[in-house]
Amino acid sequence: MAESEEEVDVLVQRVVKDINNAFKRNPNIDEIGLIPCPEVRYNRSPIVLVENKLGVESWCVKFLLPYVHNRLLLYRQRKQWLDREALVDITCTLLLLNPDFTTAWNVRKELLQCGVLNPEKDLYLVKLALSKHPKSPETWIHRRWVLQWLQKECSPSGQELKDQAEPRGDAVGRRPCERLQRALQEEMRVCADAAGRYPSNYNAWSHRIWVLQNMAKGNLKVLHDELSSTRLWVSMHLSDHSGFHYRQHLLKALARELSQVGETELHPSKQPNGESTAGASDDNHHNDVIPQLFHEEMELCTDLIESFPGHETLWCHRRHVFYLWHQWRREHLQGAGSQSPPLTHTDVLLSEEPCDDSSTSQTMDVDCVLDGSKHGSYTQDTKRLKRGPLLPHPALPSEHTFVSRILTDCRSTEQNRFAIAYRKWLDSVIGFHDPYMQRPRHITLIFLAP
Amino acid sequence: SCSLSITVHVFSNLIMEEASPPLRCFSESHSSELFSDDGVQTVTSREQVSLTLSISYVCQFLARCQSPTGGFGGGPCQHAHLAPTYAAVNALCILGTEEAYEVISREKLLDFLYSVKQPDGSFVMHVGGEVDVRSAYCAASVASLTNIITPTLFDGTHNWILSCQNWEGGLGGVPGLEAHGGYTFCGTAALVILGKEHMLDLKTLLRWVTSRQMRFEGGFQGRCNKLVDGCYSFWQAGLLPLLHRAFFKEGDSTLSVSSWMFERKALQEYILLCCQNPGGGLLDKPGKSRDFYHTCYCLSGLSIAQHFGNKDLHNELILGRDENRLVPTHPVYNICPEKVAQAIEHFHRLPVPVQTGPTPSAMDQS
Repeated sequence: MAESEEEVDVLVQRVVKDINNAFKRNPNIDEIGLIPCPEVRYNRSPIVLVENKLGVESWCVKFLLPYVHNRLLLYRQRKQWLDREALVDITCTLLLLNPDFTTAWNVRKELLQCGVLNPEKDLYLVKLALSKHPKSPETWIHRRWVLQWLQKECSPSGQELKDQAEPRGDAVGRRPCERLQRALQEEMRVCADAAGRYPSNYNAWSHRIWVLQNMAKGNLKVLHDELSSTRLWVSMHLSDHSGFHYRQHLLKALARELSQVGETELHPSKQPNGESTAGASDDNHHNDVIPQLFHEEMELCTDLIESFPGHETLWCHRRHVFYLWHQWRREHLQGAGSQSPPLTHTDVLLSEEPCDDSSTSQTMDVDCVLDGSKHGSYTQDTKRLKRGPLLPHPALPSEHTFVSRILTDCRSTEQNRFAIAYRKWLDSVIGFHDPYMQRPRHITLIFLAP
Repeated sequence: SCSLSITVHVFSNLIMEEASPPLRCFSESHSSELFSDDGVQTVTSREQVSLTLSISYVCQFLARCQSPTGGFGGGPCQHAHLAPTYAAVNALCILGTEEAYEVISREKLLDFLYSVKQPDGSFVMHVGGEVDVRSAYCAASVASLTNIITPTLFDGTHNWILSCQNWEGGLGGVPGLEAHGGYTFCGTAALVILGKEHMLDLKTLLRWVTSRQMRFEGGFQGRCNKLVDGCYSFWQAGLLPLLHRAFFKEGDSTLSVSSWMFERKALQEYILLCCQNPGGGLLDKPGKSRDFYHTCYCLSGLSIAQHFGNKDLHNELILGRDENRLVPTHPVYNICPEKVAQAIEHFHRLPVPVQTGPTPSAMDQS
């Protein structure tokens, strides 16, 4: 069936208008989609609005898309003029159908820059486009552009200029940090939605990391909140490598930020009379928090591995968390920032199973280990140790025990394979590089048996 | 035994996508160059070959995609972008005529590369765009082929690429991101061009990429715990020749002299058995539709799997009939090695241009 250009023109005008009207009728549209409907129906609108869902019947796309695409290109080549409203409508229609069309996003950037478009509208359009195309790279890139543009506009100098230009209205009551908080939550929501729509959505999770780095830099609370809020999500998406990678990123960021906090607490100011003041009352807090975080993550990992055998991502996550932990411990054993080498040394002793011929006792009797290196009264270290039994920190022997346990109980060949591969990795990568982490020989003998 | 055959029917459908025409030129010309003339006749005896490559026509079209300020855009009158620039230069090198080489304005291309260069050594994909490691590969590829590398062009680039390698051993799109097949290839190949591949943690990278070959399917996945995809036959398997060469340069005596470090037969099986469309063209996995991109990269991966080494150490492992044989592809540029040599020879007779455009720091990147 051949379509005349007039017919297509009429159709396109109608569709663009219908989409526009749909948004006017319902500003709460939260999802768009394609309705499989191959039969051409000229006298019916292909736009379907049900509750908050906007549908486009598939038959119209092959007419609509080239036509609208072409009109925009002609505009760009300055061969055909389009007024601003037409541009907004056309780009909106185009991007809902094909969000990887960079030119359309660029047109909207220009409209934003000359004040014709509200940036919130674009963030909304991006969110809708992502509901149908959760991976679309150009869409995520545009979102970041808008967010950066907004940040510039809302910076102190930007805000001042805006206030001078217009009456303040209800913007008076809004505080920048409240707005930022809401913006942050919205970003996380958009990322989570997109991540749920497509497995291992690299672009969604990369955007989430970008948000942390650009909208919440060094914000410990946000990092902690993200760790809690993604815990349930990853537990329900066990093969989502990107989701678990995000948690690895959070752990790394938290370890880095907390260590820096610790650094500043390590150098208490000296009083004029030469005595040094005590640091914060619990200046070892960061030294507790980081191991605690790693411990909890390993526990989560153990739990999931045991409950859901055969997911490679979980084993990969375990490797990464253990590796991060291993690295952090090495840095804090040898690093200049470490306040308590003896503590870590004791910590290692406490977490390892007794060596066959070792003379070190697994003991809570701290004094005999620390005594030689610290004189004077109780240090924070000893106080902390005397509080109670330490959480067992991840270490090579405990990991080997974990692997054996899995191998004994496991009925899944995949799980079996992953467990053996993990053990091999422990030996060849971790054990090889760190003499501190060498596992005791008697355990080696057990594992040599087939 | 089942007969494995490969048929390619190069089709033309206009896909309404940006950055498509130069990429299509590259995909189509590379796909066809992988078949020697004989191969095309024998293999496609049952199918109609609709491959018409008018070299002049393509040159003229690509010339229209070249931006007046340098580089190539996704179509005529579009802004320059590193992906179509990479594709256009590759396509022109495949065509390999004087006319083709002369399409490229080397001085402007250099200006374009400087205009997207960032102070930290990375490149944005286009002016005002975002950084990711593909851009470094695109830039290094076109600059080395056309001999426009100035002393400062790649300042800091290798360090930036190295920072994209994460603990897994692969490389992410930007530092801190998840390791990903496409980005890993781009970063590694760029480092090979810059002569800095030895600075990577090669062993961890080797461990990561070899773990990406799927034991059941035989093909490669892009990331841990993801599904197999035919295009990774090149992006992932293509890393093994690069790594092999890197280890060889380090004097590793345990290196194989007969095979890349992946299961070559299994990969060929996956491509031939699972990635062919009966009407011609190749695809991601069964159930998916064919497209130029997958046709190009499945075939490139097939070539990598078929051919090991070069010169004296060259050996072939062709699964199925002899007609399945493709010609070798260059593991860094992914065009035929003869075309690489020819282009480099041509452009090295010309002097390196002088940068005339503004320096990156002087440009407003917002």
